[in-house]
Amino acid sequence: MSCTNFDWKAYILEEVPRTELPSYQQHAAQCEECSLELAGLRLTRDSLLTVRDEEVPRRIAFVSDKVFEPNWWQRLWASGTKVGFAAAAMLAGAIVVHGFATKPAVAPMTPTQTSAAVDAALIDKLVSERVEKVVAQIEQRQAEKTMQVLEAANKRYAEERKADLANASANYEMVLKQVALSYKNENRMVVGQ
Amino acid sequence: MIFREVEDRDLIATARRGDVEAYNLLVSRWEKRIFNYLLRLTGNREDAMDVSQDVFLKAYQALSKLDDPARFSSWLFRIAHNEAYSLLRKNRPEDELDPAREIPSGGKSGGRMFPVELSLAVDGALKRLSADQREAVVLKVYQGFKFEEMAEILECPVSTVKSRLYTALDLLKATLAPVTEGRA
Repeated sequence: MSCTNFDWKAYILEEVPRTELPSYQQHAAQCEECSLELAGLRLTRDSLLTVRDEEVPRRIAFVSDKVFEPNWWQRLWASGTKVGFAAAAMLAGAIVVHGFATKPAVAPMTPTQTSAAVDAALIDKLVSERVEKVVAQIEQRQAEKTMQVLEAANKRYAEERKADLANASANYEMVLKQVALSYKNENRMVVGQ
Repeated sequence: MIFREVEDRDLIATARRGDVEAYNLLVSRWEKRIFNYLLRLTGNREDAMDVSQDVFLKAYQALSKLDDPARFSSWLFRIAHNEAYSLLRKNRPEDELDPAREIPSGGKSGGRMFPVELSLAVDGALKRLSADQREAVVLKVYQGFKFEEMAEILECPVSTVKSRLYTALDLLKATLAPVTEGRA
């Protein structure tokens, strides 16, 4: 194989297929010109690789920013639930369409409605009766209480009157005794003169 | 490498759902490579840093448009390439190569150089290449992309990629020959 068939730049840049490597190595070992070409390229590549990567002067980092975050619907759509969401939306749509497409039957006067009216009247009557009964009970309780209060007042008045009469009687007897004593003292003085 | 790709794919999926922390983790994995790629293209640390931030911001905004998460690296470098060239187009008058500029030789032609001196010489040689040639070298030698991936990043045929790269290697070999002779 002639020297022109060997791409030494591709070889040095690791672009030669693995299956062709032995033939390249064999030719380089036999051909002085290609060997020199390969050595020069290798030296150039190795020189390039002496320049090392530099560290990044400042770390690059991003903070959460609403401007760059996807919308709620974009996140929803990108999430695994999008299929379920789409299915649910289709089902809901089908229900709505079915609801509009089906003609509703004319609603007759149903027994339920009559029964409801009767029930309402009965309830009104029962409520009225119950209210009247409760009011009567309350009035009766108030009357009984009034009577008790009156009786207690009369009793207390009678006791006070009795006590007053007893006091008046005692006072009258004391006055009589004082008059009698005074009269007796006057008579004694007259007899003494 | 396979595990790395799987994990990147998971992070991309999580970030697409609005998880910024997942995206930050993705950034931390790729920022050094992107920064160094941009550093070698622009030759300026501040520019490389600024463009790196723009690259990751644009990538986040366009993450939902990434068709195949397995191709995240070439997609990301494609964004970096576009951003770098936007900057280079703006700065072109100042960045025009000076043909008279000599690369540092360490003062002793053919003598053995210290690693720092060699790095400076290589840096100077890379700067003498055209932007397209330099980018081809960076993507291949420093980032390890295959020809097909490079063609995808640069949006050009594989033959164009090879042409740029091979020309660049010839130029580098010639430019660095006085420096590397002592190392042979």
